[in-house]
Amino acid sequence: MHRWVEHTGELELALEGADEAEVFVAAVAALNELLDGSAEGVPESRALALRSPERATLLADWIGELVFLAETEDFVAERVDMLELGPGELRAVVAGRRGRPRHLVKAVTYHGLEFRAEDGRVRARAVLDV
Amino acid sequence: MSDLRRIDETLWEIPADARPDMRVPARVFADAELLAAIEADRSLEQLVNMTTLPGVVDCALAMPDIHQGYGFPVGGVAATEVPDGVVSPGGVGYDINCGVRLLAAPFSADELDGDREALVHEISRAVPAGTGRGGGLTLRGAELDGVLVEGPRALVDAHGIGTEDDLELTESGGRLPGADPSAVSERARQRGADQLGTVGSGNHFVELQEVERIYDDAAAAAYGLRAGQVTVLVHSGSRGLGHQVCTDYVKRLDGVQARYGIELPDRQLACAPQSSPEGRAYLGAMAAAANFAWANRHALAHGVRGAIARVVGPRAAEETRQVYDVAHNVAKLETHGGREVCVHRKGATRAFPAGSGDIPAAHRHVGQAVFIPGSMGTWSYVLAGEPGSLDRSFGTTCHGAGRLLSRTGARKRIEGAELRRQLEARGIVVRSTSNKGLAEEAPFAYKDVERVVDVVERAGLARRVARLRPIGVVKG
Repeated sequence: MHRWVEHTGELELALEGADEAEVFVAAVAALNELLDGSAEGVPESRALALRSPERATLLADWIGELVFLAETEDFVAERVDMLELGPGELRAVVAGRRGRPRHLVKAVTYHGLEFRAEDGRVRARAVLDV
Repeated sequence: MSDLRRIDETLWEIPADARPDMRVPARVFADAELLAAIEADRSLEQLVNMTTLPGVVDCALAMPDIHQGYGFPVGGVAATEVPDGVVSPGGVGYDINCGVRLLAAPFSADELDGDREALVHEISRAVPAGTGRGGGLTLRGAELDGVLVEGPRALVDAHGIGTEDDLELTESGGRLPGADPSAVSERARQRGADQLGTVGSGNHFVELQEVERIYDDAAAAAYGLRAGQVTVLVHSGSRGLGHQVCTDYVKRLDGVQARYGIELPDRQLACAPQSSPEGRAYLGAMAAAANFAWANRHALAHGVRGAIARVVGPRAAEETRQVYDVAHNVAKLETHGGREVCVHRKGATRAFPAGSGDIPAAHRHVGQAVFIPGSMGTWSYVLAGEPGSLDRSFGTTCHGAGRLLSRTGARKRIEGAELRRQLEARGIVVRSTSNKGLAEEAPFAYKDVERVVDVVERAGLARRVARLRPIGVVKG
């Protein structure tokens, strides 16, 4: 699940799941909602492979990849068909469509970037520059 | 913050001993009302974080339009020692060289009158905004490298876009030295390849305006402005290319700062000594992105002139002159107080006074032109740099009104369609690809630009030259 937290200048995204994978899946739903793609094209998928030394920065890279696909290919991810999380890396297949997504998100910042297990849940936060 | 103390009527200070990790004091230009708004979010905490940067000199500063950002607050200014003080990508921001360019048309708002809606519409067709890719110039390989190194000069020489006068009337001539295309990643090139001449989303816009009031006749004359005249304000930056450059280098510097013994209260302040391999690489990539941004606004201005040619006539387009172009997200090597420093401006504008050799000859007797956009429904201002900026703020003034409400907060208060109706009822023609995006930029989401300008004028950073009234806007 995701929710948007009040932030004067940017957008703060709070993510939560039963495990780490659910947090990454929740980020796809959040970006799909935000980019407002009105995607109507034929279904497509993209295979992604990312590496980063810690989960928080890996999450930033994951969201950044979704922004990159929207900006350079007009591709808006709608769901995650496969996700493998290993130490310092991620492999995934995301499914979605091409549309007319907003070029709203410039980047995922490291300001207040969090990814932590807490009370049997996994919670993360990221501030997006818009 | 309880440690905030008043220095004079427009300057407040948090002393260097307010937090153990501070290296210098933090200062804010504001009046009491603006300060109350500033204290409502985390701006001051972020300002204090700036004072922890290794090599920071004198003080960290905030302009009166400061608001909470990430790393630096928006409206933050900090100078670091050269060459071993740090450079921080988070002190520049993702939209490297986001800035504004003002064009002055040869006709008045009265003369345009019946063609106003057609002109706004034509501008919206000429300058892609908001959604989707393409529509801009597509440059790759050596052509893109040319822009990264030379900025708009490459567009003038290779594509016949714009004029020599446009280059003269651009901060730094539209070219930061030291640009290194090899320091710009392939991913950044991909994001920027077809975005030259596009506005983007968020708070970027092209606004048609009328010069509603002149405050300083001599400066207005030097800038080529007269009452009643139509002006066009272009607000955009380095688009995806700059966003990716910052992304790449925040990650890279975050990974190496321990090697330099740097500890920071916010990861977004990730930095490295300017003299280090990583610091030099960032400075080269940032300069390339800054040059790309100047080329972008140059191409956007070309699109605006094309729209004027089609609606008003080719001669009117030829006679549409550039007043000036200023950056407000950049790090530059400048001399202040007799020493060279690296001035980080994030949401702040250079404002050099009369006599400076770094401003165009035509403006040198009145001071550098500065443009302060208000919001879609309020005035924008043309200011001129004053000597106090060199004495008090590393030659810097504010960059806008400054956000007051979050985007979701703005959307809760008004729907885009209703805002469009209200603006059009006030005589402002609106073209926007997104009602949601329009609502997020509602005028009430911003501070009172009049108050912000009043503070920088009373502080001696810049003075009013002219006030511009919006008559049309193109938004992403």
